[in-house]
Amino acid sequence: MTKSAILEVKEGKTRQAVNSFLKDLFAKNVVEAMLVPLAHPSGTNVVQALISDPSHVDQADVFAPVMPVNSAKILQAMTRLTPVDRKTAIVIRPCEMRAVVELIKLKQIQPANLLFISIDCPGAYSTKDYPKFAAEKKTSDDFVKAGFRWAEDAQLRAGCQICEYPYPLTADITIGMLGLEPGQLLLIADTPRGEEALKTAGFTLETDSATAQKRQAALARFVPEVKERRKKFFEKTKEEIGGIEKLTQVFATCIKCQNCRAACPVCYCRECVFVSPTFELESEKYMRQAVKKGGIRMPADTLLFHLTRMNHMANSCVGCSACEEACPNDIPLLKIFQLTGAEVQELFDYVPGRNVEEPLPAAAFLEKEFQEMGEKK
Amino acid sequence: MQEKQKAVLVIGAGVGGIRASLDLAESGHKVYLTDRSPGIGGALYQLDKWFPDNQCELCKLLPVFSRDECSQFCLRRDLMHPNIELMPYATVTRFSGEPGNFEATVNIKSRWVVEDKCTACDLCAQVCPIEVADEFERGQQKRKAIYVRNPQAIPNVYTIDREDCNQCGKCVEICPTKAVVLNMPDETRELSVGAVVVSVGSTEFDGKSMQQYGFGRYANVLSNIQLERQLASAGPTGGELKRPSDGKTPKKIAILQCVGSRDWERNYCSEVCCMYALKEAMMLRDRYPDADVTIFYMDIRAFGKDYYRFHLQAKEMGVKFARSRVSRIRENPKTKDLYLLARDESGKSIGDTYDMVVLSLAQCPSPYLNELSKTLGLATNEWGFIETPGFHLTHTSRPGVYVSGSASGPSDICETVIKASAAAGEAAGILAGTQSKAEEIKPAHDHKTITDEEAKIAIFICQCGNEISSVVDIDKTRDYVKKLKNVVLVDDMGFLCQTNELDRVKETVQKSGANRVIMAACAPYHYHRLFSKTLAEAGIGAAQWQLVNFREQLAWVHKESKILATRKAQKMVEMAVERLRTQEPLKTTSVKVTQSGLVIGGGISGMTSALELASRGYDVTLVEKTGELGGHSRNLFYDLSPLDPQTLVEDTIRKVQNNPHIKVMLNSELASITGHAGNFRSEIQTADSKTELVKHGAVIIASGAAEYQPTEHMFGRDQRVITQHELQKRLAEGKLGKPETVVMIQCVGSRNAAHSYCNRTCCSEAVANALKIKELSPETHVFVLNRDIMTYGFRERYFTKAREAGVLFHRFEQEKEPEVKTSEKAITITWPDPALPGSLEIDADLLVLSTGYVAEGNEKIAGMLSLPLTEDGFFKEVDVKFRPVDAVLDGIFITGLASAPRNLNERVLQAQAAAQRAANVLSRETLTSGMVVSEVDKRRCSACGLCVEACPFDARYLDADEHYAVVREELCQGCGACVAVCPNDAAKLRSQKDKQVFSMIEAVI
Amino acid sequence: MAETTQTKEQFEPRIIGFLCNWCTAAAADLAGTTRAQYPPNVHPIRVMCSGTVDPMYILKALLSGADAVMVGGCHPGDCHYVSGNYKARRKIAMLKQIFKSLGLDENRVWLRWISASEGPEFAKFMREITEETRKQGPSPLASDWTV
Repeated sequence: MTKSAILEVKEGKTRQAVNSFLKDLFAKNVVEAMLVPLAHPSGTNVVQALISDPSHVDQADVFAPVMPVNSAKILQAMTRLTPVDRKTAIVIRPCEMRAVVELIKLKQIQPANLLFISIDCPGAYSTKDYPKFAAEKKTSDDFVKAGFRWAEDAQLRAGCQICEYPYPLTADITIGMLGLEPGQLLLIADTPRGEEALKTAGFTLETDSATAQKRQAALARFVPEVKERRKKFFEKTKEEIGGIEKLTQVFATCIKCQNCRAACPVCYCRECVFVSPTFELESEKYMRQAVKKGGIRMPADTLLFHLTRMNHMANSCVGCSACEEACPNDIPLLKIFQLTGAEVQELFDYVPGRNVEEPLPAAAFLEKEFQEMGEKK
Repeated sequence: MQEKQKAVLVIGAGVGGIRASLDLAESGHKVYLTDRSPGIGGALYQLDKWFPDNQCELCKLLPVFSRDECSQFCLRRDLMHPNIELMPYATVTRFSGEPGNFEATVNIKSRWVVEDKCTACDLCAQVCPIEVADEFERGQQKRKAIYVRNPQAIPNVYTIDREDCNQCGKCVEICPTKAVVLNMPDETRELSVGAVVVSVGSTEFDGKSMQQYGFGRYANVLSNIQLERQLASAGPTGGELKRPSDGKTPKKIAILQCVGSRDWERNYCSEVCCMYALKEAMMLRDRYPDADVTIFYMDIRAFGKDYYRFHLQAKEMGVKFARSRVSRIRENPKTKDLYLLARDESGKSIGDTYDMVVLSLAQCPSPYLNELSKTLGLATNEWGFIETPGFHLTHTSRPGVYVSGSASGPSDICETVIKASAAAGEAAGILAGTQSKAEEIKPAHDHKTITDEEAKIAIFICQCGNEISSVVDIDKTRDYVKKLKNVVLVDDMGFLCQTNELDRVKETVQKSGANRVIMAACAPYHYHRLFSKTLAEAGIGAAQWQLVNFREQLAWVHKESKILATRKAQKMVEMAVERLRTQEPLKTTSVKVTQSGLVIGGGISGMTSALELASRGYDVTLVEKTGELGGHSRNLFYDLSPLDPQTLVEDTIRKVQNNPHIKVMLNSELASITGHAGNFRSEIQTADSKTELVKHGAVIIASGAAEYQPTEHMFGRDQRVITQHELQKRLAEGKLGKPETVVMIQCVGSRNAAHSYCNRTCCSEAVANALKIKELSPETHVFVLNRDIMTYGFRERYFTKAREAGVLFHRFEQEKEPEVKTSEKAITITWPDPALPGSLEIDADLLVLSTGYVAEGNEKIAGMLSLPLTEDGFFKEVDVKFRPVDAVLDGIFITGLASAPRNLNERVLQAQAAAQRAANVLSRETLTSGMVVSEVDKRRCSACGLCVEACPFDARYLDADEHYAVVREELCQGCGACVAVCPNDAAKLRSQKDKQVFSMIEAVI
Repeated sequence: MAETTQTKEQFEPRIIGFLCNWCTAAAADLAGTTRAQYPPNVHPIRVMCSGTVDPMYILKALLSGADAVMVGGCHPGDCHYVSGNYKARRKIAMLKQIFKSLGLDENRVWLRWISASEGPEFAKFMREITEETRKQGPSPLASDWTV
């Protein structure tokens, strides 16, 4: 049962329509603040901003194909210590939303007072490529008009190209457009809170409207398609990186700057174990390793770092590509982490961001699982 | 009056004796634990696996608090507690005195081996020319005249069996430490004790005396213990099932129940055999999926908590069941196969040939019990078990002497453990007054802490005579480890465990100024305490030294590869060096204990627990939700004993009401409870809707259960259909009259899909009521329709009596329940009896339904305390076998019907046990943490809460602002689950920090 | 290296074993008492519980040069700390899946339940893991300086 209202878009001006909706939220006092992507005056980026003045909404560009930072990271910084004290809308992409759910489970985000608004996401370009896109005088409206073209647009971020959930799983309000006519938008209330907010904002909600059903049908078509696409992608990835030789080759250019984990939304540690005293070693320890192994790559423990990080976050990996974006040497991290992420998640029948009540695999176990393990053969 | 003694003598060191000793020791009493045999453990160590997981779990007997002072090792390896003095190979020869002041003379048999000198190297046994049947393996292999009872014997010291020894002197000659001294005299000890607990266990029935089964004559007829030993990995067949006649794996196996029990001579049920037969059958099916396993039985008496589910599980696993008493076994002299003559219920022959037959031999009194009971002046019953007069199953005929375990009748481990705790409680009660508060257990020595000074490591390598040095190249090892960083000294000794060598260690350490020590010797349980003491004297604390097991984990297992073994020896020391180099100080912390208790529920269980605690001097709050004390037991008028339940109940109520230590709160309920072992805060909602705050150190949940309200068999629709409880009331009030026919139906609302457990009480109740009817109205026909009659243990007598009195017992199958029709004239009951053709039909005046108890209201309390419930809604204990009254969180205990249905005297027993377990907590002024506990690096902690989730002991929480995790050190058991789940090393385990583990790993490579 | 192995030809794997204090370490002692022979390739590190073995330890060992790593714990239902072995099992299942996904050799990570009374089982398993690792040959991770 979907409760939704149509958001009218005039002359293909999606951005304007969305912004007027966001403005209404301020005007009708649904929210007093908003975390929302605003076009940077430079024209080279669209960045998240926490605004209290509704006039800033004019710069909002929710569908702009760029995501410089996964906003879960921002919310962690904002709310880890204390929840926000006023009603705040959080306008984010589905992958950000899923990361938010993971961080709520990990007690890194306090969701009190937050109204989550997310979108059917047509994808994003690398932050490096976005200025090019903008310079070609393309607007987000143009981008939206072109529709969902993950499979065709090789310029999109790797994660977007194989995105399994370009639609929000748990937002309060979804700005939907999957399967709709170009330029058409649907405001979907996915939670009682979202419903309340939309009603207060002056929308009349319809249950299972024809438009909503169209979107549902599109989703139903989309799922097997993307599954197939991902399957092929992973097969290819395995060929590219599988085995120790190829894996070390992929990481050959790693400088262990740890930008990947700094950018990763679900790498939530205040300080990584790899900068902890455990890895603060006396020279003799390095020397001993060098002596025992004949030689070791420096800085030490490169693969240990990546594998350990994978072990920590693979279950929560939302495939947002933030790691790959952050890598100064263009290591294709997304495919590596999504590959393991997807397979590990399948092992535990776990979808990160699916449900805030679902326990993290690391925090649970079943007595009757993996029963052959540990037994004699 | 003489001053009361503070010590307790525990006779028999099987599971009951160990449990009783640990309970007494934990609540601060000195214990002498004796055993007739050269080592402790009784039957425990003969069995590898137990119900319900078919695993070991023996370690769960160990204390939760102050573990460091007791044992951090598996209970198969050692039993250590500073308050327990082990006295194996000892018998009580004289006994006198009165409760509070007994004098016991104990004869400690000489092993002819000096305990302190024996290193258990086995050389003596290797040269000993005399071979005899190994009693531990029940004759399935040989042992020498000088031997250890089993490879994990405690103490692990060799003993010469004088009966077998020919005094050839070869062992004396070869013993490298001169430990063997032939004809060494026995020792006699005079002990002054305040109380005695007898827990000498039982012995299995002599199967040879039942000639028809050919035990002892037919090679492939085994006793259940022999089967257990075959299935034991360290047993005579290496864990493989083998037919003694030809060593082949049997395909078709029969297990025969009630061998030596439920017969004319021994008219009692051995109680434990059904469960172990189920377990053995399941193990066989699990290990040999092709094996055809059939249990021949009369009734499957799976009456305990969750036992019925176990029975069902066995069926699911393909174990076959044949309700039949096998009349005879015939052996095919050629093939040694066994032909069983048997008939099923209907009389049809179901005889068949089997490859192996296992006899479930009944528990019989220990052959030494007769003498012991004479010495102690205890009455025994008709079969020779210790008589327990009255309602208290731990009381003997002699005040001050208590009994636990199967010395007073068949008991399984769970019942034995409960009885043991209850007996410990009784014994401690006698000593109360002299010692109501426990003496805090003081460490044997003060642990020095590690200072900032650089590590200077001294390494001592034991050659163990030739045992280690014959495999490990000591010189090469010494040369290698000498060069390791921070090592200041390496020395090797012939026998590190001998006094003169230890003096040398002490001297060397002191002279060299070493501040860390590595002892490369044998398995830790041999000499850990001795080394620890010696090193403490040299100023080396617990955190500052490491034991490396060169013998059991190296020399004895790598005889064939000396070069690699030497390399491994080097690496093992290097690992220890790495651990010690980065070792940080270990310290303990303490929290104060609120030394009073809370008991929830004022039935017989709650009242008994409250009285027990009060008798030890602790204040108790007893909360009862109704307006009166007594609970269900108020409606109990007969039991399977000559005693009157009402006397007990009324007496208990009076005692509770008059006890100055007990505050009774009627019409009150627990509204909230927070806190942990040692310190709980509860809000009690009182009759006038006020809340009252109670602080307490332990809580006993005795909140009871509800009577099942049947919907079956026309109950509620016809006045003539009543429950057993109602019948009992009518009988007691003399209102039954003289009905012509009374029919009883068992298992109403139990052992079915909705209630998948046996109610345990209803068969006894039915038999008691049937007997009463026959007594009051002998002409009345009484039929008891049943699926299995659960008159376990000595209750069997009454089952026989009822049959003798003319009560007719008929069976029905679960799938074919009796049909009940009512007319004005009569109630007609129709059902097929498997023993008879067609269906039976009876017209009755009265139909009595045997209904039991169902869990009620447990969710609320469980929710408040985060306690799990069983599938049937009863409280779950942490371990059903070894800690049957302990909740999964410490300081919380469960008893009575809230735990599972039990009979009245068993409820009293269990309540006493729960009180004793609670007293273990309350008797301490403070709870002290172990040394190896986890800690939090606050600066690094992200407060994600994964460690809190992972901790099984609720020893972690997030601070009020949720900025970091905090450890409740006194609850932390040091398992390190938090460490593994913490992604960034903010959770650490002292003595096993990531850095230490990494260093050790690198040392190996 | 200070030592050469017995026969130059035979590959002697270096294996690290994390043994739970309550069961597997006790079984290792029992194997000794019963003189059950097994090859000395596994180097034991005693831990309180299998559930405390951080997969990072296993990774560290394999990347530092171990040819295989084993974790030994109590049988399911038998953990001294209630559920440590279940947690260990889940962690190792996940680690093995990561290895599988990346085309690394998951068979170099072993989990085995061995109870205190299973001394012979322990010895048997030591033989098994040594033999299997020997068959697999030296771990490529162990000799690769670029990891």
